[in-house]
Amino acid sequence: MVLSSDARWEMVDALAARTVSPGSYEPSLGDVVGELTVRPLTGIPVALAALYAFWSIFTSFAGTLMTDGFMVKIFDGYWLPWLQSVWPDPASWHYFIFVGNPLADNSLEAFGVLTSGFFVSIGVVLPAVLIFYLTMTILEDSGYLPRLAILMDTFLHKIGLHGYAIVPAILGLGCNVPAVTATRILETKKQRFIMMTLLALFIPCGAQLGIMMAVIPESVGIVFLCLLIGFGLFGFILSRLIPGENPEILIDVPAYHWPVKEYVAQKLWNRTKAFLREAIPFVLFGILLVNLLYLGGVIQALADLLEPVFVVWFGVPKETAGPLIAAFLRKDLAIAQLSNIPMTPYQLIASVVLVTIYFPCVATFVVMLKEGWRELLASIAVLLTVVFIYGGMIHGIGILLGVA
Amino acid sequence: MKHNGRNATIRSTGPVSGSSTFYSLYIAILGLVTIGFGCADIFVWAGASDGFSWGIVAISGDDFFRWAWGGVVMVCGGLLLLSGAAHAATSLHQAAKAAVGVILVWVIAGTDFLAMLCAAIPAEASSPAFFNTLDGFLAGVAPPYTPALVMFPFTLGLIRIFRSAVHR
Repeated sequence: MVLSSDARWEMVDALAARTVSPGSYEPSLGDVVGELTVRPLTGIPVALAALYAFWSIFTSFAGTLMTDGFMVKIFDGYWLPWLQSVWPDPASWHYFIFVGNPLADNSLEAFGVLTSGFFVSIGVVLPAVLIFYLTMTILEDSGYLPRLAILMDTFLHKIGLHGYAIVPAILGLGCNVPAVTATRILETKKQRFIMMTLLALFIPCGAQLGIMMAVIPESVGIVFLCLLIGFGLFGFILSRLIPGENPEILIDVPAYHWPVKEYVAQKLWNRTKAFLREAIPFVLFGILLVNLLYLGGVIQALADLLEPVFVVWFGVPKETAGPLIAAFLRKDLAIAQLSNIPMTPYQLIASVVLVTIYFPCVATFVVMLKEGWRELLASIAVLLTVVFIYGGMIHGIGILLGVA
Repeated sequence: MKHNGRNATIRSTGPVSGSSTFYSLYIAILGLVTIGFGCADIFVWAGASDGFSWGIVAISGDDFFRWAWGGVVMVCGGLLLLSGAAHAATSLHQAAKAAVGVILVWVIAGTDFLAMLCAAIPAEASSPAFFNTLDGFLAGVAPPYTPALVMFPFTLGLIRIFRSAVHR
């Protein structure tokens, strides 16, 4: 028997009336602060501050300290020059595949399996994922995440979801793979489908965020704005088009408490380990495949074939075809590759948005397939339509603003 | 469980009840200063000035995220401090509002401090060394500071009110 949410609420009320006897209760400061964080007037500023802290800690630790402070020096100052000096025959195909461009002076632009591959996965993605999961786990274990779910419930209902959709949305900012799995906490097929599609389209993963900070640090805000608008706009449209229910949220809110460091450490280790197991092989294999396709002339042929779509409709160079193929394996890799193509600032922002909203990476694709092939096919159909429409819309806005 | 705590009062005795007006005034002044700094963050970012520096306080306004978004968080913190100022020492609900306001200021100050540390620990990009020298590190954490960092010590006084609220 499946109960509707109203029937469940009635059952809760009936059970509570029979079993709970109200007594006197003195609220503590923590209780009242907890209540203030779920009321819109006081809760929204707290949510703004929490997201600010989340992003600020992410950029300071992963960007300024680890990648710019140490990793760039290790990879550009030691690793790349050493590989360039010991690898034989810079004109050979194996040099092109494993070391990349012999004239490159930094690991991001060399685009070899052993240069960009290791720099992207260890120098950029690892610190980004580590700090993302640490802050995420602290928010989760302190009791703030359920409150954020309540606060976001009204907005998320407008796009066919409920407050707990914030959990896969935030998880997706780390990696879309666990985020797709987390859509199971949503109650109806309609909600799961909308969330899965929006995740694949508009939520960049931690690896992408890390590489965006390295490639376009001054434009990350604009890219995010484009993605946020797309999330709301297409969520609203999907919620109207897709039949099905969108029941009310039923949520247990724990009191605020200090996270237990052993649990935080265990969760951090499990999540980072799972991510690295998937990320490093895909990044290395991705660069290998793209370099082989370049050598075989496939990328050039695809770029020529898709030129009208890329240049006329999206307003980006036809060479973007290469990174879009790499994006199917790893989106962070694709964004790193975009930095090697000469582009205007508008084209770079539009290309990064396109890479983000275009097809999910292969790992996400596999997890989506596990959720059901019909849902996956429908999701892909929606996805391709949205990429075409939204990509064209961004180009149109760029033309109107005189920047495209 | 529904309990908004709006009518709950702190059964205060001793120094807190005796200094209730002082605490309210202190919180209100902190709130006004926080709003002022938050607005200055936003205005400098929006181009009202190329940058602002006064004594040990500096606003560079070069980054949307820090100065516009962070400025909005500061303004919200100031508004919450102001709205919680009246009877903060005797009303749990008012103390909680002031506490949320102070937490917002602490979030900005904490992240500013972390950003300063993260920039000061590694050596400069042009240097072959990995870690900064002690002198370089100290220069990196020396003034001027952001407004939130300058405000931080002045907000610590409010912990006394919050502790008294927790203990009751």
